[in-house]
Amino acid sequence: MSPVLRIATNELRVLARARVAQLAIALVVALSAVAALTAITQGQESQEIRSRFQAQADREFDGQPARHPHRMVHYGHFVFRPLPALAGFDPGVDAFTGSTLFLEGHRQNSANFGDVRQSSLLVRFGQLTPAFVIQALGPLVLIFLGFGAIARERDSGLLRLHFAQGVRAGQVVLGKAAALSVVAGLILAPALIALAWLTVFAGAVPAAALMLAAGYAAYLLVWVLATTSISALAPSSRTALASLVAAWALSAILAPRLATDIALLAAPQPTRLETDIAIQRDLKKIGDSHNPDDPYFTAFRASVLKTYGVARVEDLPVNYRGLIAMEGERLTSALFETYAERQFADQKRQSGLALALGGVSPTLAVRSLSMAASGTDLEGHRRFLRQAEAYRYAIVQRLNRLQAERLTYSDDSNRNSDPEAGRRVRIDPGAWRQTPDFVYRPASTAESLAASTPGLLLLGAWLALAGGLAWAASRRLERAGS
Amino acid sequence: MQCYIIVDRALAAGEQTDMPDPSSAPPAIEIRDLCVNRGGAAVLKTLQLTVNPGEVYALLGGNGAGKSTTLAVLMGFVRPVSGSARVTGLNTASEPEAVRRRIGYLPETVALYETLSAYENIAYFLGLSGVRPTRADMDAALDAAGLQTEARTRRTAGFSKGMRQKVAIAMALLREVPVLLLDEPTTGLDPVATADFNRLVGGLRARGAAILMVTHDLLGAADCADRIGVLARGGIVEEAPARDGLDLLALHRRFGEAAAG
Amino acid sequence: MIGLGQELRLFLRQRLAGPTLALLAVLSAISIGAGMLEIRRQTEAIARIQPLQAAEEAAVAAWVSREGDAGNAAYYTFHATWDRPSALAFAALGQRDVAPYVLRVRALALESQIHEGESYNAELALPGRFDWAFVLTFLAPLILIVLLHDLISSEREAGRLQALQAAGGRTGLWVRRAGLRLGLVFVAVAAPLALGAGMSGAKAAEVLAVLTAAGFYLAFWTLVCVGVGALGRSSVANGAVLAATWVVLTLVLPALAHMVINRANPVRQGVELTLAQREAVHAGWDKPKDATLSAFFKVHPEWRNTPPVTSGFHWKWYYAFQHLGDLSVADQVRAYRRGLESRDAWTARVGLFLPAVGVQTALHRMAGTDLAAQLAYQDRIRAFHERLRRFYYPYIFNETPFRKGDFGKAPRWAESG
Repeated sequence: MSPVLRIATNELRVLARARVAQLAIALVVALSAVAALTAITQGQESQEIRSRFQAQADREFDGQPARHPHRMVHYGHFVFRPLPALAGFDPGVDAFTGSTLFLEGHRQNSANFGDVRQSSLLVRFGQLTPAFVIQALGPLVLIFLGFGAIARERDSGLLRLHFAQGVRAGQVVLGKAAALSVVAGLILAPALIALAWLTVFAGAVPAAALMLAAGYAAYLLVWVLATTSISALAPSSRTALASLVAAWALSAILAPRLATDIALLAAPQPTRLETDIAIQRDLKKIGDSHNPDDPYFTAFRASVLKTYGVARVEDLPVNYRGLIAMEGERLTSALFETYAERQFADQKRQSGLALALGGVSPTLAVRSLSMAASGTDLEGHRRFLRQAEAYRYAIVQRLNRLQAERLTYSDDSNRNSDPEAGRRVRIDPGAWRQTPDFVYRPASTAESLAASTPGLLLLGAWLALAGGLAWAASRRLERAGS
Repeated sequence: MQCYIIVDRALAAGEQTDMPDPSSAPPAIEIRDLCVNRGGAAVLKTLQLTVNPGEVYALLGGNGAGKSTTLAVLMGFVRPVSGSARVTGLNTASEPEAVRRRIGYLPETVALYETLSAYENIAYFLGLSGVRPTRADMDAALDAAGLQTEARTRRTAGFSKGMRQKVAIAMALLREVPVLLLDEPTTGLDPVATADFNRLVGGLRARGAAILMVTHDLLGAADCADRIGVLARGGIVEEAPARDGLDLLALHRRFGEAAAG
Repeated sequence: MIGLGQELRLFLRQRLAGPTLALLAVLSAISIGAGMLEIRRQTEAIARIQPLQAAEEAAVAAWVSREGDAGNAAYYTFHATWDRPSALAFAALGQRDVAPYVLRVRALALESQIHEGESYNAELALPGRFDWAFVLTFLAPLILIVLLHDLISSEREAGRLQALQAAGGRTGLWVRRAGLRLGLVFVAVAAPLALGAGMSGAKAAEVLAVLTAAGFYLAFWTLVCVGVGALGRSSVANGAVLAATWVVLTLVLPALAHMVINRANPVRQGVELTLAQREAVHAGWDKPKDATLSAFFKVHPEWRNTPPVTSGFHWKWYYAFQHLGDLSVADQVRAYRRGLESRDAWTARVGLFLPAVGVQTALHRMAGTDLAAQLAYQDRIRAFHERLRRFYYPYIFNETPFRKGDFGKAPRWAESG
């Protein structure tokens, strides 16, 4: 057996007999298991609830009685953001973004009832998910079990005894790192089982699950190498522990919050209220569909009359009010899209800035990868918002088109004064049942892998750095001789 | 190289063995003109020291005289500024790993894995240097070193200094090393344990090992050493063969002066 | 006092002591700065919307006052509400970064408007903000651990313990030493807060309350550190035990508590009432007008003897079923509210056992940035909405024309405490 393997197995044997190690590993494995179990069941429950609400909303829409199509535009529809299969592993921004979105004409609403506004301040302490356990607690356990691996042996003289047998410093460092890697594997095991379960039973994409497994393995490996290196480099075991805990606090606790504040400071966002007002302003500049003398709509009317070759709107084969509704919706939706894309771009810039600070913290890098691969990053939410908006536009325009084609202009104009006309403008409910349901298209494998790439690259850089540190530690240990 | 265990049993059986004549063999430890700096200051200045196989050399000196440094140089942990240190002909600066394989090193505080037993410690450390001792081998070595049987399967957590030393000596025996470096082996031992230890050193010497012993114990050194050297001001200031009739008191006084001067 | 000065000198001569304290002071100052910047941003946003809102109202007034239809006025006029941050909000931002602090409402059904969210970057909101509450709750204990873990064990390891115990009074010495470190950490954390509070115009009593909470929290951690140190283990072992304690008390147990509390108090009523309210309001289009209006007059009998509604569309009938839609979900609103409050109450109870949760609860309560403050803002919006409805009803039900002058009479958002 090579010395590296001997050192590794011996270190594991010593760890296995240490009560502290037994306790720490047992605790973190238990936490990881609890987190995995609750995350999976909670994910299932949330998904069921959302499906149930979506079914209820679909039923209510389809079950509406005969109505004027524009009433249905204001009746609107609810869509509920479905949870990706891997959300159980890393819920990401799910708690912070609402899951309920109301779609109606002329308005773009916010997604509401996110957990963060329904929970007390405990939600800010961190959610007990497998991702959290590995990102925040895993490195700490590795630090506690590994900080003395070389430092304590140097203090006690055991290290010198190794050298006296003709072992090289590099072999010692590698052996200790290998042993700590086995511990890392133990910490990772419940999470990997959860991933496998989610892939087999919950329909998670295998490539994404693999990406998660690889990312977290790389992350823990970074900490394994860093811990072993610091243990070798620090003058005493106390300094080793202090530096490692400080590094962990900086990486897992401080850096994410500092990154948030820096990114928000550099690229602030306007409030929803101001965006609404700005949209209304822009809309008025183009044209006001409620104002009959508006110049834009005057021109619109002229062009419609010309297209159909008639002189008056009453002579049009279609309902002019329906055409106005469609045109009005087109204008507002174009504005919504402009502002929404601007906001998305702002947020992307913010997130990019925050990720760039991942150069300081491997935790930021793995978090980015984890959320992207699980489909619960901001991009996933944006995908939902974009698809929901496209759906909203589609069904609103469909309803407006019904108003244009199925109703006559005179009926529509007289619907409030003439009860017969009022009855005729209500089209039969079959039209609601024919409206397509909202089908959410999640990110393709290629898309989610592409989104995970920045985090992966950053982790790769960290791995190289940690490897370099380990190599430097070996050299220093060799030269110091003792 | 002789196998000490076989020799031991042979000796016990009263047989004669083919032992190399110590005086005709090349020196096991040879230090020439050794200059070593530590922390910017010169600790050893043109040190000359030679230990032959089957010889015990007791190195005395005050605190900070450079005794531990000398051992560190021989182990290849410290590189000299000039001069050479050779162990069985190998240069310690250029081939530290090969040198370490020829040396059995007994530090002042023998470090062992507290949660492992004596057997496990021995098997592990020997495994690192490529030796795979069987249980019988380990028992024989521990018998020679004098560790009681019931202590061998216990965790080494409660071991006294003497017991730890016995484990370390057993390790050295199993590795069949020609050179032994002992760092203050009897400091902290009671007189009975000291006597035990000195007997052990005598046994090792009989097997043809070259032993360099750093110690404060003049009396004990005189008992088991062949030569006594006093290290002061970077070099050996006094060297005397230890034999019956040696004026220890005078040596003690001169030692004090040499160390102080 | 002489002893303290000497202890201070001894303390500062340790290599890492001064820099560690300086680090805490710097981080504390940065957190105060960050918090104040955020609050200034929010205050500026509130100021920014005033002229925007005035212009919007003027624009609506311009075209509505032509016909003078009060129904149009109530339908198209958005009224601004806002939640001004309290003087101490900079110290603990709480929910202010994820909940709206400005919201516009119309006189229509309220339940579809009041749950509107704010647009923010959810990925950035995920870890939380770097505010003073964070520094106090998470970082200050770590610094205390660094300074106190080897209080006794370092003397033992240096061999001075027995000499110390022989020379000085036993408890007096340790109390002085621990007290000095606690005091220094407290000052490092409190000084920036006091400065920030002075700049924000916070009341002295409030600042004192916050500092008292901080003091108790730090004292708790000091006791834990000294207690572990008194067990007689090595410095390294102490450091490891204390770090593990910190992780369990500030990370693991609160996360577990959060999970348990949320599962025990489901709040699905929020979505349910939204769905139900929409159904109720839109069913109003199909119900016979007499039924709707008589139900409405039961709640608002003062409008019973107004000109009746003719067939077709009429604003009276419209606003009637809007309000009835709100009333039909009143029970669910209450249940939802109770669920949220229950979560908050349980969190406060957990705070009695977990000091990190307790100090955060106290700080956010004092800063007015917790869930209760959010709900209070919503309550104020509800009251304002009620005033709006009562303002518009006379015009609508008496069919009085609504002119430009009447726009100026509309209720304004009052900033109650």
